[in-house]
Amino acid sequence: MSAQPLPLRWRIGLRRRAGTLGSAWRQPLAIAGMTLAAAWILVAIFVPWIAPYDPLAQTSRLFAEPSAAHIFGTDELGRDVLSRVLWGSRLSLPLAFFLVAAALAVGGLLGGIAGYFGGWVDEVVMRATDLVFAFPTIILAMAVTAALGPSLRNAVLAVVVVFWPSYARVVRGLVMSLGQSDYVNAARLLGASSRRALVVDVLPNVAGPVLVLATLDLGNAVLLLAGLSFLGLGAQPPTPEWGSMVNTGTQYFQRWWMGTFPGFAILSAVLAFNFLGDSLRDALDPRTSWAVKEQPR
Amino acid sequence: MTSAASAANQQLAAGWRPRLPSRLFLRFLGRRLAALVLLGLGITFVAFVLTELVPGDPAAANLGQRAIGDPEAVRAFREHYGLDKPLPVQYAVYLQHLAAGDLGESEQSHRPVRTDLAEYVPATAELAVTSILIAFALGIALGVLAAVRRNRLTDQVLRVLSLGGISMPTFWLALVALYVFFFQLGWVPGSGRLDPGVLPAPHVTGLYTVDALIAGQIDVLGNALQHLILPACVLAAYNVGLLTRFVRSAVLEVINNDYVMAARAKGLPERTVILRHVLRAALPPIITVGGLAFANVMTGTVLVESIFSWPGIGQYAFHSATTLDLPAIMGVSLFVAVVYIAVNFAVDVLYGVVDPRIRVA
Repeated sequence: MSAQPLPLRWRIGLRRRAGTLGSAWRQPLAIAGMTLAAAWILVAIFVPWIAPYDPLAQTSRLFAEPSAAHIFGTDELGRDVLSRVLWGSRLSLPLAFFLVAAALAVGGLLGGIAGYFGGWVDEVVMRATDLVFAFPTIILAMAVTAALGPSLRNAVLAVVVVFWPSYARVVRGLVMSLGQSDYVNAARLLGASSRRALVVDVLPNVAGPVLVLATLDLGNAVLLLAGLSFLGLGAQPPTPEWGSMVNTGTQYFQRWWMGTFPGFAILSAVLAFNFLGDSLRDALDPRTSWAVKEQPR
Repeated sequence: MTSAASAANQQLAAGWRPRLPSRLFLRFLGRRLAALVLLGLGITFVAFVLTELVPGDPAAANLGQRAIGDPEAVRAFREHYGLDKPLPVQYAVYLQHLAAGDLGESEQSHRPVRTDLAEYVPATAELAVTSILIAFALGIALGVLAAVRRNRLTDQVLRVLSLGGISMPTFWLALVALYVFFFQLGWVPGSGRLDPGVLPAPHVTGLYTVDALIAGQIDVLGNALQHLILPACVLAAYNVGLLTRFVRSAVLEVINNDYVMAARAKGLPERTVILRHVLRAALPPIITVGGLAFANVMTGTVLVESIFSWPGIGQYAFHSATTLDLPAIMGVSLFVAVVYIAVNFAVDVLYGVVDPRIRVA
């Protein structure tokens, strides 16, 4: 599923920071997410040595069922599905990191400017975010990619277009509220330079929520890119890409292994980032936490 | 939560009575309506800019291969859409066409996009509404369960399941569900809205289930429901995950309030406390997820309808995307965005009705 962003307030828990990041890593869910994500990243790095076959090599065995020779079977051109799934990580994971970094840079910059200057600058940036939020994400991403022409590069561009407003809003809100908060003023009154106030007092408080948002968006980016490729607007054949592999799987419906395994890859990668992001949010906002004991009232 | 807010929650829990719209409410309504109109204009602007972005000649992109060799057709097209005029004028012309319901002509069907949409919307509407109902019923039940069993095993299992729901690629879930429940088990019919031999009831709403009910054709109703259930459940998966999590935190926000303790102290059964006191107070924030749930279902239909051969706008969008039928893609996007902001508007107003505090903000 290509994810519609959850409501920001809820996604990142815009509340008083009451826990430490440290506690996140002791939760089983965080550990599971960590392990899964690390496994996928290792696969992406070492895939030339791990993958049993060349992902593009066509053997004579078309539509082979999963067997010892081809653990995930082969596809309509006789290519090894396992190798293609493993190679797919080289596309999806780096792109997800790049996408989120780009959305963070664009959104953070615009949001920071909007929050700092206020006035009409703020108005323009915020109305632009409203416009993006007025579309369900994949609808806008689909329209943008289709208008620019279907290619992986344009799909990536489209995802940045739909992702940046979240960061703009979070950073803007934080910059605005933190600039007026008592403890920042107190630091300034104690003689801290603006730079010190920004780095020591403001930044750590911005970093938490943004980190949660970015972690969850890594999963969303994988989903959205896979969705666009499923629509034929992202990666083009014969590139091994998870979304387009599932699409091929739907065309050969009875050869269940062709679509099922790439789908598992998407699910496990997205799940890893969602586990991580969710644990992080818990650590930052124990009130709705799934792990911490009942809060004293 | 502040004590003022929990006091308001107590009032909410005590029971809300409808009253005549106050001046404050009318002002709230007016403000939201103005925002709706502005946003609608903004959406058309985005769609216009995107059509302008098309690399090369928009006439070529919109007319397709068949007509681009014909200079007369190109000239007529440019004149019709005002492409020979400056951009602001083009936008005005574009708006004028939109106001007249002209979304251009699909390259695939060679029909006006509006005609296509009108044909496909009821199928999607039926699927989307069913799916959202399923999602809310399941999501609220599971969310309350998770909140009541907070930090116990049930809660932890539900946490993993709900995260699984929002991590699952819907198009993959559709494929797997179809393979298992249709191909392997044969529990549901494979594709389409009705079995090949079954005729839909006379057209009233375009929703086959409702039309069958109106006509009193129970067998058609049953057949339509059989076809509806699997795609609706697949589309609901993401929203169930989302709602479970959201309902859980909404319930936890209120479950420790003093009035809940008071209700327990006076000896009400736990079921009554949860349903009448806790859930009632937790409902307003849950309503706000409605808009989001709609967006998720629309996202899902684009990816899933073609797998189920469901003749709705999702399948239309999918085919338009795979064949790069630009006017159709833009038409669907514009339509979905307009419905989406209308849904969000309705959710806003509903929230204002249910929770009077919102109107002041």
